[in-house]
Parts: sequence; C-alpha cells; structure tokens
Amino acid sequence: MLAVTEGGPQATPNAGHTQGGEALVNGITSSTALWYASRATGVVALLLLTAVMVLGIVVNRQGRLPGLPRFGATSLHRSVSLLAVVFVAVHVATAIADPFVSIGILAAVVPFVSHYEGFWLGLGAVSLDLMAALIVTSLVRGRIGRRTWRVVHWLAYLTWPVAFAHSIGSATDMQGGLLLYLGIGCAVAVAAAAAWRVTAARRAVPPAQRAARVLAAASASRRLDRDRHAGAGAR
Amino acid sequence: MSVGYLAAAGTPRVTPPPGLPRLIPADCAAGPEADHGFGQQSLAGHLARLGPLTYPARPGGLIAEAEAAGLTGRGGAAFPVHRKLAAVAGQARERRRAVVVANGAEGEPASGKDAALLWGAPHLVLDGLQLVAQATGATEAFLYSRRGEELSRRLLGALRQRAAAGLDRVQVELVQAPDAFLAGEESALVSWLNGGPARPAFKQPPVWQRGVAGLPTLVQNVETLAHLALIARFGAGWFRAEGTPAEPGTMLVTVHRADGGSYITETGVGTPLAALLPAELGAPGARTAPDASGGIQAVLAGGYHGAWLDPGRAAGLTLSNASLRPAGAFAGAGVLAALPVGRCGLAETARVGRYLALESAGQCGPCFNGLPHIAGALDELAGPRPRRQALADVQRWAGLVAGRGACHHPDGFVRFVRSALSVFRAELDAHGRGRCTATDPAPFLPVPAGAPTGS
Repeated sequence: MLAVTEGGPQATPNAGHTQGGEALVNGITSSTALWYASRATGVVALLLLTAVMVLGIVVNRQGRLPGLPRFGATSLHRSVSLLAVVFVAVHVATAIADPFVSIGILAAVVPFVSHYEGFWLGLGAVSLDLMAALIVTSLVRGRIGRRTWRVVHWLAYLTWPVAFAHSIGSATDMQGGLLLYLGIGCAVAVAAAAAWRVTAARRAVPPAQRAARVLAAASASRRLDRDRHAGAGAR
Repeated sequence: MSVGYLAAAGTPRVTPPPGLPRLIPADCAAGPEADHGFGQQSLAGHLARLGPLTYPARPGGLIAEAEAAGLTGRGGAAFPVHRKLAAVAGQARERRRAVVVANGAEGEPASGKDAALLWGAPHLVLDGLQLVAQATGATEAFLYSRRGEELSRRLLGALRQRAAAGLDRVQVELVQAPDAFLAGEESALVSWLNGGPARPAFKQPPVWQRGVAGLPTLVQNVETLAHLALIARFGAGWFRAEGTPAEPGTMLVTVHRADGGSYITETGVGTPLAALLPAELGAPGARTAPDASGGIQAVLAGGYHGAWLDPGRAAGLTLSNASLRPAGAFAGAGVLAALPVGRCGLAETARVGRYLALESAGQCGPCFNGLPHIAGALDELAGPRPRRQALADVQRWAGLVAGRGACHHPDGFVRFVRSALSVFRAELDAHGRGRCTATDPAPFLPVPAGAPTGS
C-alpha cells in the first residue's frame, strides 16, 4: 500500500489507526492516503499544465523569458509538460486505486461513464485523452511531420480549459479558500497569455518583411553609434 | 535494345556529338536569341541533332547508367543523381505514386545558365524529365522555371509540340517560380508547388519521402536532366570522356569578365579557371601588374554562396570541387566573376550581402536577425574609416549564424562574407585610413533591379 509521508494536510479527517506497524503521519490513513495523493497531484498537475500552457504560448510567439535564451523557453515547455504528465499519471492512478470512490480504469479514459461525479470526471477523462494525443504526437513529431503535429497541437487550447473545468468542478475544496485563489490565478495567467498571443500575432511582422525591418533598425542604430563616436572624437 | 519514341526501323542512329559543346552552343545567350547554331529550340531541330529519346530497356537502367556516369546535381550541391533517383524510386514502389520536378528557378542573380538551357534546348530538359519520371515511376511531372512571360510561352509551346507528337508518357505542368534567391531551394520549391510560400521548410520528412502533395518527390536541376537525356542516348562512357575521373562530364558556366561582359558556355569539369577567364588569369602580366588595365583583384567562384579568391591563387585552380574546396570555394552552379581593379571589393560584398540578407525567408531567427546585422556592419566597412568594432561584429556574428536555420542560406552568406574579409584585407586597411582604392563607383556584380536596396 502506498503511504504518503509528507505534504499531508494538518486536519485529521479520520480517526487514526496503524497499518503494518507504520505510525500515522498527520492523521493520514491508508484509506485516505490515496485520496490525498490524488488531490495533491491533481492540484500540482493543474499548476504545471498552466505553466505548460503559458510557456507554449511564449514558444509559439517566439517570445523570450527573462534570463533565458529563446531556446530556453522551448526546452522548458517540453520539460515541464513531461513533468506534468507524471503528475497527471499519478493523479489518475491514485484516483482509480482509491477505494473511497469507485472510479474504474474505463471511466478514467472514456468520458462520462463514471457513476461518481459523472460530468466532472468525464471532463477529466476528456482532458486526459487530449493530453495523451498532444504528448504522443510530440514524441513522434519527426515521423508524422510538422504539419500533422501542428494541427493536433492546436488541441492544447481545448485541453487546458477542459482540465481546468474538471479541477474546479470535481474538487469541492477548490470551490473556496486558498485553492480557489490558486485556480483563479491559473485562469488569469492563461487568459493573459492568450490575450498576449492574439495581440502579438496581430503585431507580428510578416516573414517577407522581417529581414528588411531588422536591416533598417541595424543600419539606423549603427549610424547613431557612429555619429556619437565621431562626436566624442571631435570633443 | 531499348525502345525509342520514334523507333522506326531504319532511323539512322545519331552519332554522339564529338567534344564540346554537348548541351547548347558556346557563348549561348540566356534569352530568345539563344538558338544560334544548334537549332534545338524546335522539336524537329532537337530530334535532327540528337535523335529520338530511348528509354532504358530494363527497370533501374537509368539509375545504373547515372551511377556509372558519375553524374552529380548541377544546381550547385553536386549530390550524386543515382542516389536521389534510387531513393525516390524505392519510395514510389511502396506508394505507387511519385512526382518529378525539373528545377529551373535559378534564383542566383549572377547565373544565367539554366535560363540559357531552357531557351536554347528545352527538349533536352524535357527528355530528361520524362526519363526520371519513368525511372522513378512518377505519375506527375513539373517544369519549374524562372518567371517570365516570354520564356513561359516558349516552354508551353515546346510542351505542346511534344504532346502533338505523342512523345511524353507523363504529362508535364509548367509552373513559374517566384523571383527570390531561395525559390529554387528544394523544400521551398515543394512548398510553392503545394500552394504555400516559396520558403525553405524543415527537412524532416525529406522531400524524397513526402514532397509535392505528400508524395515522394524528385527535384533535379534542369541541366542535370539535360545531361541525363544525353547519357540515356550515348551512355556513361561517352559522358565520362569529358571532366575528371572524380567529377566526370561537363557543366554549364556563367562567367562575368572583368570588362563587365559575361558569357555562358559549357566546359568540362576540371577546366582551369584561367581558360575560362583568359584575359584576366591567363596572361601572367595581367596578374603581376594589377594597375594595368584588365588587371583583376579577385575572382568570385560559386556565386553568391561561394567565395572570393585571390587572383594569384585562382590562376592555379580548376573548375572542380576537388580543386576549389581546399581554397574555401566550390564549383556550385558554375558562376565565376572576375572583379577588376578600380572597383571596391568591400562595396561589392556589402551590396551583395545586403541583397542576400533581404532575401532571407524571414523564418529562422539566426538568419533574419543575423544576416541584416552583418550586412549593416559590412556597409560600414565599405565606407570611410569604419570603426574597429564593425570588423569584430562581422566576425563574431558570422560565427553565430553559420550552420543554423532550416536551409544553407546563412552558411553560404557567411562563406561569401568571410572570403571577402580575407581577400580584401588591403582594402580594409585602406578604408581604415579613410581611403578607397576604387576609381569606379558603379556596381559590378549583378543584383536584381527590383530588389530593395534600403537607404
């Protein structure tokens, strides 16, 4: 049995008992451990997916993150998304294994077949499937070609809102308190990134004009530098 | 025995053309007047000179013959033709369809040989296109030619003549390339034929796997196809009679003389550069006394992705990759230019550099950011008293853009610029002292008139 030994809540929902000679930590029992693990990994997964979403938008617009070269945003987007996959996997696995509510393996993958919280869990299944599509196509991008990958990757803009709705809807503790603020923060971050993406796309210089723009700017700044240099020399 | 188009019994076998030229007459113009001598513009003239095309009797025959001939791509990259043919043929066997493209885009402003060939001997190119279509099992064929109403009309006429004679097994569609330096880059060409912009794409999957309409696609330079049409008729042994054992055959060259004139001719690979620029490199006096009229200060080999060479060194080199590569240049698409004394090599390099920078497809950061910055610094080096920083900038940025991006545009640009910094060292010193050795400010190297020149 899986035992969570850190990061547990301070509250004690169940009366403690021991199992296998192991002492209780903060009142988490074997029956609640999976429940808490699923909750915790779910929250962390939401945070990571939000980061992935924002980073993906930065990569898409060829933006830069402070202190990182351009390729840094790309590799960060990749690494964080793979990390999110791990958390989502643990989140789903613990939810299935948790005996408190019966969620079958089928309900985790096939939307809207769960008896428990059918609609909200269904959204979770939808986002899980979409995420699987995104990850698999990204891993085999070299084989399927960039265009196919790109089309599938547009699903990211659907995946995050569905996953977010699943978080808010199925987690009662996210409907108030600290976790609610966390959820709002995530939504604001993604909304801001999306808004920035749209305006940046509108402002984007067409490829055919990019070199000319850079050349004009480079020549102008070079002339300015030179004049300043000449001025300093004359003085 | 192979089966000819018009293989009527008793048709006199055409004897292979002895010596040179093979493809088009010497000193052929890149225009409507390109015909003089050979009369190959018309189908009748073409058949009278070379006889009907014979397809190889057994499958894979053309591939084997191309390998035996040692034919390499004449678009500049010199890639072995048989390997590309075999790759596309293999893919086409699985997919049952394939596309072949004759590439006559010739985006290089200093080159005119592909246009000269299309004007002077279109049927030679179209024969080659049919041959590779048959060899690869292609179901569609394109002729991708430089933009121009007159040339297009001529090529459509040639296609119609062939259709009327019932010669072609695969129908050929004519497509005009956009006016862009990179229009002939393989993946840019495929993107254009697919209805997209003519911009280079990522090389995975390669076009021989997924090209035009997602089908395996063979892209060959028009001159390469013309050589194949002759190899199919006269054999690999005949092809190897010219050129060097390592780089057999002939190639078309565009030569810009120091007097401002230029000519297009066909020459064996391995011809001394001095034989192609006799007035400039042939006579030793012309080199040792650079102040004499007719003296030159540098030779550009390989076009605008090629390299400047010191004339003393160029005089000892031949038009082959074996000779030019160690000197930092390459034969490429056969462009040579002799820069006369009295012109500023740095000004020429800056002008061409600016053109190349503006021809960036604007996709990859290192290219559309780096090349204009280098071009700006080159402008300063071409002027009086450049700051020392300008030279340092060029050298540093050149190192940053080389080897990056989706195509080889940055690499070619850097090769051209770096060679200028080394060959025009004395001029750099002169500019540093506020002097320029040039007496004639008129531009020498051709840059398209429509190209933006900036401020």
